[in-house]
Amino acid sequence: MKQRIQLTVNGELREVAVEPWKTLLEVIRDDIGLTGPKEACSTGECSACTVLVNGKPVNSCLTLAVEAQGKEILTIEGLSQGSKLHPLQDAFIRHGAIQCGFCTPGMLLSAKALLDDNPQPTEQEVREAISGNLCRCTGYNKIVEAILEVAQK
Amino acid sequence: MATSKLDYLLKLPKFDHLEAKTIEEACSLLAKYKGKARVIAGGTDLLVSMKRREISPQYIINIKTIPNLDGINYSQKEGVVIGALATLAEIESSPLIQERFPILSSAAHQTGSPHIRNVGTIGGNLCNAAPSADMAPPLIGLGAKAKIKGLKGERVVTVEQFFLGPGESTLQVGEILTQILVPNPPPYTRGVYLKLPARTAIDIAVVGVAVVVTLDSQGINIVDAKVVLGAVAPTPIRARQAEDIIKGRMLNDELIAKAAQAAADEAKPISDVRGSASYRKEIVKVLTHRALKQVTTEEG
Repeated sequence: MKQRIQLTVNGELREVAVEPWKTLLEVIRDDIGLTGPKEACSTGECSACTVLVNGKPVNSCLTLAVEAQGKEILTIEGLSQGSKLHPLQDAFIRHGAIQCGFCTPGMLLSAKALLDDNPQPTEQEVREAISGNLCRCTGYNKIVEAILEVAQK
Repeated sequence: MATSKLDYLLKLPKFDHLEAKTIEEACSLLAKYKGKARVIAGGTDLLVSMKRREISPQYIINIKTIPNLDGINYSQKEGVVIGALATLAEIESSPLIQERFPILSSAAHQTGSPHIRNVGTIGGNLCNAAPSADMAPPLIGLGAKAKIKGLKGERVVTVEQFFLGPGESTLQVGEILTQILVPNPPPYTRGVYLKLPARTAIDIAVVGVAVVVTLDSQGINIVDAKVVLGAVAPTPIRARQAEDIIKGRMLNDELIAKAAQAAADEAKPISDVRGSASYRKEIVKVLTHRALKQVTTEEG
């Protein structure tokens, strides 16, 4: 049986009817229509599905949508201001921190959460913040460089 | 063939989601749906098991809707009281835990990825009763207790007694874990938790070793010692022979080597994809050695 939930997605209040076994990821992608968060491992090991829930990065593939009632969700679609890219997005492009792009939404959101909490992280802190986000293309160095550049501004 | 191209994605089986408003309600629901219901806290282990169809409960009982099951507080009498719903991230960053029990913040930090730690709870880490549960060895080393509530009232067991076997805890039908009580340690107590693989997000421990020692006031002799091994037996276990070797003694390299060997001998690991039994025994020796060195030479 479907339950009605209200949640704020990228600043907009949304009301959706969801089945209790639907993950937040499925509801964001299939019901709300935002396909930025990706499904890859489905078991919390790759974090391609990262969204921020009340400012904290979580695996939306392991979050029940019904338990997101009343929460503030940020997906990659909410990071830029219109056509103006977030400084992290801009730095990722300039540093070549994006190759296939599948991990990128999750990487950016994990980086945003880190910098919101700790504006001047060390390289080690950056590497720990993205330690759950797997990237099979870049070897991570360009991603770390891009995040550190934004942190130092 | 009309198979969906999305078949490789793991979907959850169907279930009813119930929100408990009180501990009593959660216990009643668990008793009513005996064997068909599971508690959800962070969900990071439960939902994976369900996606893999290892379990398919008909009812999921959310306990995050129960007030006051989270939080980390200090009381003179009980020591540090950690609510079962305290997340691993909260334990990692709690000034109270960092100051009094750095071994616990360190173990929390070594569990899972930041994303998992943001939702995964200390209660869930214990209730899943994995032999590799990272919070168990340090909690056992500190003599921590688990407060359990059920329909017939409340009981307290040591965290050591809480584990019965792989995936099996002392919790009976209709009972939930509500608090972890970490008693104030005697002065000059230090502890360290080491794990292999170290600092690798996601990976489950191949071996975890917690060492907690209490020194005399001169900081020379070991008055009390606990050596606790994770992932090398059906439950986290104390290496009592290793403890006996160092208790009442002044640690030196020879004694440390002897205790490390004893710990390896006491481990009863299995061979699996993460490591063979003989490899795990060797790693127990190495980590116990390293942990004993660290607690006697550095600020624990």
